[in-house]
Amino acid sequence: MILAVVFANAEGNILIERFHGVPAEERLHWRSFLVKLGSDNLKGVKNEELLVASHKSVYIVYTVLGDVSIYVVGKDEYDELALSEVIFVITSVVKDVCGKPPTERLFLDKYGRICLCLDEIVWKGYLENTEKDRIKRLIRLKPPTEF
Amino acid sequence: MADSSGTTLMDLITADPTKASSTASTSSAAPSSATAAPAAQPTALGKPAGEKKSKRATFMQIQSDTLTVAKAALAPVRTNIMPQRQKKKPVSYSQLARSIHELAATSDQKNSHRQLVRHVFPKLAVYNSVDPSLAPSLLMLNQQCEDRNVLRYVYYYLARILSDTGAQGVGTGGGIPTPNWDALADIDAVGGVTRADVVPRIVEQLSAEAKNADVEFHARRLQALKALTSAPSNSSEILSRLYEIVFGILEKVGDAQQKRKKGILGAKGGDKESIIRSNLQYSALSALRRLPLDPGNPAFLHRAVQGISFADPVAVRHSLEIVSELAAMDPYAVAMALVNHVQPGGALQDVLHLHDVLARVALARLCYTISRARALDERPDIRSQFNSVLYQLLLDPSERVCFEAILCVLGKYDNTERTEERAAGWYRLTREILKLPEASSKEGSKDKSQKTKRPQPLLKLVMRRLESSFRSFSRPVLHAAARVVQEMGKSRAAAFSLGLQDIDEGAHVNTYAEAADLHDSDETAHPESIRRTSSISNGTGGRDTIGGLLDSLLEVVRTTVACECVYVRGMVIKALIWMQGPYDSFDELESIIASELSDPAWPAGLLNDILLTLHARFKASPDMAVTLLEIARIFATKVPGKVDADVLQLLWKTCLVGAGPDGKHKALEAVTIVLDLPPPQPGSMLGLTSVDRVSASDPKSALALQKLVQAAVWFLGENANYAASEYAWESATPPGTALMMLDADKMVAAASSRNPTLAGALTRLQRCAFSGSWEIRIIAAQALTTMAIRSGEPFRLQIYEFLHTLAQGGLQSQFSDMHLSNGEDQGASGTGLGVLLSPMIKVLDEMYRGQDDLIKEIRNHDNAKKEWTDDELKTLYETHERLLDLVSLFCYVPRAKYLPLGPISAKLIDIYRTRHNISASTGLSDPAVATGISDLIYESTKPAPSEPVDSLDDDLVNAWAANLGDDGLWGNNAPAMNRVNEFLAGAGTDAPEVDEENVISRPSVSYDDLWAKTLLESEEVEEDDAKSLGSSSPDSTGSVETSISSHFGGMNYPSLFSSKPSTYGSSQTRDKAQSNWGGSSLSGGLGSPIREEPPPYSSPIMKRFESFENPLASQSFESRDDDQVSSASVRYGSALYDFTAGGDDELSLTAGEEVEIEDEVDGWFYVKKKRPGRDGKMAGLVPVLYVSQS
Repeated sequence: MILAVVFANAEGNILIERFHGVPAEERLHWRSFLVKLGSDNLKGVKNEELLVASHKSVYIVYTVLGDVSIYVVGKDEYDELALSEVIFVITSVVKDVCGKPPTERLFLDKYGRICLCLDEIVWKGYLENTEKDRIKRLIRLKPPTEF
Repeated sequence: MADSSGTTLMDLITADPTKASSTASTSSAAPSSATAAPAAQPTALGKPAGEKKSKRATFMQIQSDTLTVAKAALAPVRTNIMPQRQKKKPVSYSQLARSIHELAATSDQKNSHRQLVRHVFPKLAVYNSVDPSLAPSLLMLNQQCEDRNVLRYVYYYLARILSDTGAQGVGTGGGIPTPNWDALADIDAVGGVTRADVVPRIVEQLSAEAKNADVEFHARRLQALKALTSAPSNSSEILSRLYEIVFGILEKVGDAQQKRKKGILGAKGGDKESIIRSNLQYSALSALRRLPLDPGNPAFLHRAVQGISFADPVAVRHSLEIVSELAAMDPYAVAMALVNHVQPGGALQDVLHLHDVLARVALARLCYTISRARALDERPDIRSQFNSVLYQLLLDPSERVCFEAILCVLGKYDNTERTEERAAGWYRLTREILKLPEASSKEGSKDKSQKTKRPQPLLKLVMRRLESSFRSFSRPVLHAAARVVQEMGKSRAAAFSLGLQDIDEGAHVNTYAEAADLHDSDETAHPESIRRTSSISNGTGGRDTIGGLLDSLLEVVRTTVACECVYVRGMVIKALIWMQGPYDSFDELESIIASELSDPAWPAGLLNDILLTLHARFKASPDMAVTLLEIARIFATKVPGKVDADVLQLLWKTCLVGAGPDGKHKALEAVTIVLDLPPPQPGSMLGLTSVDRVSASDPKSALALQKLVQAAVWFLGENANYAASEYAWESATPPGTALMMLDADKMVAAASSRNPTLAGALTRLQRCAFSGSWEIRIIAAQALTTMAIRSGEPFRLQIYEFLHTLAQGGLQSQFSDMHLSNGEDQGASGTGLGVLLSPMIKVLDEMYRGQDDLIKEIRNHDNAKKEWTDDELKTLYETHERLLDLVSLFCYVPRAKYLPLGPISAKLIDIYRTRHNISASTGLSDPAVATGISDLIYESTKPAPSEPVDSLDDDLVNAWAANLGDDGLWGNNAPAMNRVNEFLAGAGTDAPEVDEENVISRPSVSYDDLWAKTLLESEEVEEDDAKSLGSSSPDSTGSVETSISSHFGGMNYPSLFSSKPSTYGSSQTRDKAQSNWGGSSLSGGLGSPIREEPPPYSSPIMKRFESFENPLASQSFESRDDDQVSSASVRYGSALYDFTAGGDDELSLTAGEEVEIEDEVDGWFYVKKKRPGRDGKMAGLVPVLYVSQS
């Protein structure tokens, strides 16, 4: 189960979050935990370099892309390696949509489209589509495989 | 404020995207400015529009106006940077909503499409939820609009409206809180539109679309189905509709048998019909995956199994995941359904080459479940087929899959740990051999060398793989590899604990392989076999033994400690702890841990995780007790401020019991070594890696160390007798009276020769009673009393004398002059312990006086050759009982055995008992013992439990005396226990706690959190307290009282201050009881008026036996609450300002409204209103600062 996908800016403001199966009262904790994790560790990290953390039986993989840091939290079959796959798909799609590692401005300009992509990548706590082309087609309301 | 950076979410709303053509932007501005009067003004970053109180909003408005003017002045310079900021009017949520309504009405125009796609929808996405009043317009767009991009957004928002339950966690999406729907009610002429109104309509329309079989429509069909699955899964009506749709689709497209062609997936090709079919298959299976499993349903299984041979890789993944989950419930049915697929050339074999990692992970789980299923015992052929697929996955190029396969082989599947399965896993790993089936080696591994094709021992494969993973630069890979090693250690420990003795780790790995090699004799010339023979000649030290392989792996693991990521290092340490055998030398591990812990970067949560790992390791092999205690000691000394003292104590305790008779002394030493440490040297960087140095240079950890020492002292007092096997009631050498004539020096000598463990503990406690801080001195005195009561002579006398001296004072300056400098008021008696000590000494006095009297009486009787009369016996017995009662007030003793009047009284008391038919064990149901002292004091009417105590065996009694036995080691100490059990069960997905200090340094967390956190900063102290109340965690920097009242399980603080509940945790009832007794009960009786609160024990049974549990925890929670908040249960307050709910769990307030405050979480109150507000909500969260408590 992918418990959370969170995008935050450099100041630690959450830009997008998608929680699944996390009780409302715990989300605050998760947000601050993730943001703190990022502020402690993401200084000077290269784009798309993956960092890892864990809390009890929950895994966290996070990275930075331009001005935006991306966190993915999962458990069970979504361990640190599976989450790496997830975050890889997310980063490559974000790069695709923005054309480069986004500045915060650029990210916000593409906000709607990124939301749509995310919707195709992570759906109800499971990884869905992984191929860029497929996602691109789906957010334009085309069938996943074209004829 | 980051507002000036020009990159905030609000900017997105306020500004049009650069790309937008000028015509589009003006026309988009038109409708919004026409409707004007925005409900909520945009505000600075993190101050969500909805949450502003109006005054502040106007202020901000003024401020931003001035800013705009100022910026306009700079316009020539700035335009390039932020061209839109100055000219565009911000767009509020209600404006967006209005735009949607208007544009939906003109959805046939191209212009409207463009506006929707470019402006309205992306901006709407910024709000964290979508209100249902938009639904009618969205549905209208959905029906009338042809534009694909618009429609895609429409499906997105419809899905969000459907999923928006708040509770599920899918509702909010970050960004800016949506203003209260209430505020939007005026948009709809009819009034507020609720979810209940629109959801049926949405579901109706989407399911109609999902059933539409029109070929041209099928892309929309897929999206409609997807949106439909967003509905919360608790609505049975929607669920049944979904099942109907999904099975309907699969009926049409599922059965058509088609051969999957390799490589077709990405490429354009294939006929239109089959592609459409494959798309529908994908969509149906994706939906099925989101639906609840239906285990008994053959149709469900059939469809899922069918999915494995579909062309769409994502569909295959979903169906494998479904099937593997089903297999866990009904392996037989699944195996039977899969029989054809698992054959060489079958669909499962194809999955091995599928380019989808998670599909192969699911395959590994599936194979594991089926190959281990008991239900398939009579079909070994099927099991072995699945097994061989699993083993092939060990060769998978993806680490994720390979590691999953290793974990499966090791018997780690989910968190239900079964020792047998784990042990079998280790056996499999070390014994079994991978033989690739001919079929797959033909097509799949053409490029692989010959070596891969020949049978290989699993262990070697795994080791090679792990070693190469440890060379990776990717942190997730390192973390995962260390985790796999940890699981390996668990399985190995399980194998050892089950006594799979035939696992000879010196044995040659290939000896098992050779048996298999015999079949293909043509391979003898293989270079591998040459290497093998040569390694045999190397003897057992060679690299190819299991032990050798493990050693080389561990070497690589150890080097990974150098990784800069603490989480990776933490996992490595856990792995090393698990791989550590009970009899291996652990110097290396010890030094690794010691140097690691000196790194301040370690977060407390992670350290506690490792501490819990020690628990788990101990549970797996109790032989490790001493080793683990040594490791725990490093934690205690290195990071006292970060570890959870409760958990640490529990570890001490369990290890002490587990150490066995021989190890007890060592175990106790390991604990008490904490006391021997020199006081921390501030700022000293020396000996960072030395274990025997305390690193507590900052005040917080110094305080924590202090607490830890208290815990250790208490622990020593409670358990020294147990560890030393010295009990007054079963002393191996009953002390003669001669011993009592000795002077003190000789006594000490005699004592230490008789029982060095106890003597050592005694010496330490004596030192603590003199030279610790006042908290420690108090506990040390109590600990000494406990020991005095429990031990036989000469220890008792020795302690008695010591306590006497201590109470008198005066000697102190001789022993230590540290006190003069530490600024504490020493009290009149010098040690400040006089008040505390007097009741203790009184008890001992009474006991000795009783003994003297008894001896006198016996002599009298002997001299006069008189029989004891019944009256005399009765007096004696009454004295005995009275003393027992007194003694029981201080610590637990087994009443049936304890003889306060000395061993000589045993006979006489026995006579009296038999004569009067008093069962010796009635003592145990005495209220003082059975229900805890507090009840005696408060004259509880609770009936004493009837326990089967007649047949007590000595061990049990002694264990009780040390609070160890009873209801199991693992059933005590509630808060720590829960953590340990939770950890052992592998549970725990709850949110981590973030250290407060860091929270403060965070500017903000999310747009609404930022706001909450600024509140928190001023409320920090309060939060601290709340935290330590809840978790009694040592890292809270709460006040001293807090830590005292809630910190130690069962730590009984003396009653010196019991009449001052405000400072001392009025929770110390039990101690107060003691002092009441000591100080005033002799004169004033038991129901002493000093008490200020009613008896707090609600279920006091067994309290007496569980002093390790924290009987005060719960109560201290309440009473602390009392201190902080005027009334314990319900608080009232009134809203200071208007507050608009930003999410479903929040509650809107109007200034002045009366509310009932239920509790507080992280700067938020959970409050209840008297009547529902305009949104119909009665209760929810509001920021603390918005409410004034009355």
